[in-house]
Amino acid sequence: MRPLMLQGHERSITQIKYNREGDLLFSCSKDQKPNVWYSNNGERLGTYDGHQGAIWCLDVDWTTSKLITGSGDMTTKIWDVEHGLVIASIPAKSSVRTCNFSYSGNQAAYTTDKAMGQNSELFIIDVRTADSSLAEQNPILRIPMLQSKITSMLWGSLDETIITGHDNGQISIWDIRKGREVNSVNDHTGSINDMQMYKDGTMFVTASKDTTAKLFDSESLMCLKTYKTERPVNSASISPIMDHVVLGGGQDAMEVTTTSTKAGKFDSRFFHLIYEEEFARLKGHFGPINSLAFHPDGRSYASGGEDGFVRVNTFDSTYYEPLF
Amino acid sequence: MPAPDIKSSWADEVELDYGGLPPPTEVIENGFKYVTEYKYNKDDKKTKVVRTYKITKEVVPKTVAKRRTWAKFGESKNDKPGPNSQTTMVAEEIFMQILNTKEEEKANDNLLDLTKNIAKCRICNGEHWSVNCPYKGTSMDTNLMEKKASAAAAAATEAPKPGKYVPPFLKDSQKGGMGGIRGRDDTAAIRISNLSESMTEQDLEELIKRIGQHTKMYLARDKNTGLCKGFAYVHFRQRKDAAAAIEILNGHGYDHLILSAEWSKPQNN
Repeated sequence: MRPLMLQGHERSITQIKYNREGDLLFSCSKDQKPNVWYSNNGERLGTYDGHQGAIWCLDVDWTTSKLITGSGDMTTKIWDVEHGLVIASIPAKSSVRTCNFSYSGNQAAYTTDKAMGQNSELFIIDVRTADSSLAEQNPILRIPMLQSKITSMLWGSLDETIITGHDNGQISIWDIRKGREVNSVNDHTGSINDMQMYKDGTMFVTASKDTTAKLFDSESLMCLKTYKTERPVNSASISPIMDHVVLGGGQDAMEVTTTSTKAGKFDSRFFHLIYEEEFARLKGHFGPINSLAFHPDGRSYASGGEDGFVRVNTFDSTYYEPLF
Repeated sequence: MPAPDIKSSWADEVELDYGGLPPPTEVIENGFKYVTEYKYNKDDKKTKVVRTYKITKEVVPKTVAKRRTWAKFGESKNDKPGPNSQTTMVAEEIFMQILNTKEEEKANDNLLDLTKNIAKCRICNGEHWSVNCPYKGTSMDTNLMEKKASAAAAAATEAPKPGKYVPPFLKDSQKGGMGGIRGRDDTAAIRISNLSESMTEQDLEELIKRIGQHTKMYLARDKNTGLCKGFAYVHFRQRKDAAAAIEILNGHGYDHLILSAEWSKPQNN
């Protein structure tokens, strides 16, 4: 395969996401401008200019009309996807680590960091009539995290729950009507860097600093499978058409300069979803992979790395041949 | 006689005529778009850049088609339609590396075995460090010391006289180390020849995939036409696979031609 290399960022990529149809690919990095690309030919549609700090997270709603970004400049911004303009900018007390639209696109959740004397907090806002007045409105729900910081977050089934991953490896599920924790598990021992839902929402895959990725049932939080590697895992994604999971990670960014590209293990690693066995690797990045996303049609996937590149890999025909 | 006014030497005129860069051209030909541009490179030399695009048609949902018509914004506002070569590049060809976990496990087991028996006594060859040897300081120990001393003396007399220059590459070959100049392991490499012109990498992969895992393959292509030059090199992961490949492919009929396969010979300059 000949991957497409998208070079729109000056600093390391923090998150990439496809929209629902998969025709657009959104990327954000530690520089201040999220980018949007046409996924089939790698053409850049535009950049969203307005943030003043590193962008940690982004999400796009199911109609591809709104984009939400969370930044180190202590704001969450909601954008008009088509024109690249800010609809609303919501100030926070510390930097915004994760943000997600609910499945319906009516609400959005975002979480802030534990920093500057502030606790990590989870906010839920109504975005149906988002405009500049959203900054003054109170959030629908606000849950402070007393012990640990949220490092990743997902909406649960029917927009009734929120699943959070914490820096101590804890995974919790919150009922947003009752506003309290329903269940929590401690299967991971390191920070949860990323969580991604399977296409039907019944299970999700986590990527953790403890060098494993795990598959969880999204109702009961039961750990179903474990994928073991030797390096911290930064991101994991489940294929929508095959029983495959792709893991990305590698040496910690601060240790990269003292490691050779061969020893750093910056490959994307493909595991069988059920047998937990690694069956393939794909080289490409020359730094750790920070974010991975499968195209909704499962025929390609994109990876964003510490090296600042986004690579869109389209699978060869050999990928679809049966393995076992 | 009125002298024709000579502007400059012919060499300058040639420069003047072609001084500017030719305008970029776009040709659309049976499903491909060829964009030709001329640029100056770092050394102020003219270079020609030809990009080939494949024009494809896709059936997509209405919403997706509508999004294709969106105007560009932000930093891409002034980009022309189509990918901008500043931000979008095609990376070099890579292959998925299919792992055979069983083989790897075996290799790891071997490593573990090695580490288990890492301690080996110099005196009695037991599985402990020499320091802890029960025979330390006995006649066995002193015998060993004497043997060593005499061996060292013998080696000293055999060593080549100093002062004679030995080129670095000969030094390596005397040691019989890596062998090839590039230090690549060519022991499991084979050469397949008498391939047809229409051979492609995919065909070759198809052909050798069933025999065993390969680490690298090279299909010689003509620089201008891009057609196969008739031979290819394949590096297998294991020598036994390479041997099997020679066995199978030598004399094998493919594309109306009889292939011949042999071990790849090291380059001798």
